[in-house]
Amino acid sequence: MTAMLVKNPKAFSETAIDGEVVLLNLRDGTFFSLTGTAALIWPLLDGTRSRTALLAELARTHGEVEAVIAPDLDVFLNQLAKARFIAGA
Amino acid sequence: MDETALSHPGPALLADEAQVRYGPVPRELGGRAMPPGSMLLVDDCFLLRSLTGYGYFYRKGEGVIVERDDDVDPAEEALWLNGSVYAAIASINGYLPFHASAVAWQGGVYAFSGPSGAGKSTLAAALGQHGLPLFCDDTLVLDVSDPDKVLCLPGHKRLKLTDQALTLTGAAAQEKVAPMVDKHYAEPVAGTLRAVLPLARLTFLELGEPVEFAPITGAERLARLNDDHYTAELFAWAQNEGLAARFARIAHIAGRVPMQRLTRPHDPDRFAEVTALVAHQIKQEGQE
Repeated sequence: MTAMLVKNPKAFSETAIDGEVVLLNLRDGTFFSLTGTAALIWPLLDGTRSRTALLAELARTHGEVEAVIAPDLDVFLNQLAKARFIAGA
Repeated sequence: MDETALSHPGPALLADEAQVRYGPVPRELGGRAMPPGSMLLVDDCFLLRSLTGYGYFYRKGEGVIVERDDDVDPAEEALWLNGSVYAAIASINGYLPFHASAVAWQGGVYAFSGPSGAGKSTLAAALGQHGLPLFCDDTLVLDVSDPDKVLCLPGHKRLKLTDQALTLTGAAAQEKVAPMVDKHYAEPVAGTLRAVLPLARLTFLELGEPVEFAPITGAERLARLNDDHYTAELFAWAQNEGLAARFARIAHIAGRVPMQRLTRPHDPDRFAEVTALVAHQIKQEGQE
């Protein structure tokens, strides 16, 4: 996948509190809470990285094997895409 | 008045806006018919017609018109006026009514929220036995426009307690609220403080064991403030507040006010113990 991962700011409002990123889905009013690694990934979805580049960066910074963390990353990105919070996933 | 009280236009403004005169109220608002048992807020107007023969119409800058049938219960008038009508007036004027009772201590407001019947009024009143004056009963009016803190406007409702709560709190019973309401107006032991003060902490009351305080953090802080009480809905109507604006408002409060839950049993025999714990916590924090 080479498409750049980019947020769709019309789909959500966000705030950071106590180390969490809290997103409000502007379509239905539901809250998403991003904690831990998810909260660290969120600011990286800035339109400068593809899924492949993001995976490589996470593997490098966390000392993990790409194949090990790829499934969790894909689940997370798919959740964000399903909520229309990002494009490019 | 508390020496830490802040100069603020809110109390005088709301007192002016809540001035009552008597006369006929409209039968429709914003093109919608308003039968008895309905209320509606449109722009800077609010209309409420009760099933019991009362009508209230408020327009910003013009005060409240009250209409009442000949056979109404006079005691009921203040209940509507201080409840839904006042919440609408506050909302139209940019102040957020929040479902909570509160005490004041060392220049801060310590508020207790929870569903109706959770014990907000009883706990706030009982803290008077520990020297903490009541700040408000049932509705805490907030000014969320300050960038640094959330300000609380002094309470406008008289304290109302059941017979059991009067016994538990030591508050002095006054007249019955209304013939059909099983509560008395009451004066708490430490009196009532009327000042504008910052909100120091918000405690959500829950039933359970053991008795404990637990901080509320992260997304739960926002979820707790996403109140569906009718007062919050009035504010949303008055301010034409969409989802994004509501979220921003909730995030603003959540980022400035510490929150916790207090779990305790619904047991009159342990009420004094719990009240003492709450008083101790507030006084400890007030010293920091």
